[in-house]
Amino acid sequence: MMNSPRKRAAIQQDRFGLKTAAYLSAGSADLPYDISERLRAARVQAVSKRKIATTQTAGGIVNTGGSAALTWGTDEGLSWWARIGAVLPLIALVIGLLAINSIQDDSRAQELAEVDSALLTDELPPAAFADPGFVQFLKATRPTVTAQ
Amino acid sequence: MATEQELSDFLKSVEKRAFKRSIYHVRDEEAALDIVQDSMMKLAQHYGDKPASELPMLFQRILSNTTLDWFRRRKTRSALFSNMSEFASPGDDGDFDLLETLETLNNSEGTESAQDATERAQILHEIELQIQELPDRQREAFLMRYWEEMDVAETAAVMGCSEGSVKTHCSRAIHALSKALSAKGIKL
Repeated sequence: MMNSPRKRAAIQQDRFGLKTAAYLSAGSADLPYDISERLRAARVQAVSKRKIATTQTAGGIVNTGGSAALTWGTDEGLSWWARIGAVLPLIALVIGLLAINSIQDDSRAQELAEVDSALLTDELPPAAFADPGFVQFLKATRPTVTAQ
Repeated sequence: MATEQELSDFLKSVEKRAFKRSIYHVRDEEAALDIVQDSMMKLAQHYGDKPASELPMLFQRILSNTTLDWFRRRKTRSALFSNMSEFASPGDDGDFDLLETLETLNNSEGTESAQDATERAQILHEIELQIQELPDRQREAFLMRYWEEMDVAETAAVMGCSEGSVKTHCSRAIHALSKALSAKGIKL
């Protein structure tokens, strides 16, 4: 209810604007002949220079794929080169994967070795003797050590 | 993507209004024709592959930018060659040929009485004069909003301003037009 005078004013404004626009539309419909003709010529010229999209249709791609599959074994002249060309990236990929695998194995073994050597060379903290599990471990391993 | 026919139909539907709008801005028939032609060409060359639904907004923006470019070029030229004749406004009262306007109106609408046609032509002439007197941004907002029938958001996008600014420009334009027309004894 608070907005009703504002709304009414907005409606009146819109009505005035549309009435004015109606007069303008009536005026623009009756342009002189030479102006209309020049506009028409400009339009024709613009349309003739229209940008045409160069997107490839799905049908075209499917057809290209089909023809590639069909020519795979028939074109003898290019088949060997084509096969080598197709296999090379695959070989490179396999070699790359193997290299990554071996590098990762090496680095993991290296990390484990570092941790082991750090544990073996480090001094035993006093708190370890208070640990019941460690005491049990010492008891269990002592007979074998003394036996040796 | 808009077909050639769709693009042509779209341009046909907007070319006359675009020409009149340009005249209200630049007040020069030749310049207005050049602006509309440039705008059509830019739309077709750069956006001819866009969907038909996107063309109106694109065209309005191109038309506004091309009009601005024209003003910038004229400003540069005026600064280089200060020629006072360029400042003369061709949109003065003296250019209005009532007989010519009456003739076209009578040809187009045979049923309309001579008195009605005269009245309509006079009102239209007054409206056009008052629209030319509006500040640029108010005129642009008013014409896009009511003549091109764009909503507030679209007008704001084309003008590169907020929706609030569009509303303010439109409101001020309507008040100014209403006041000026009332002062001339015209009531819409």
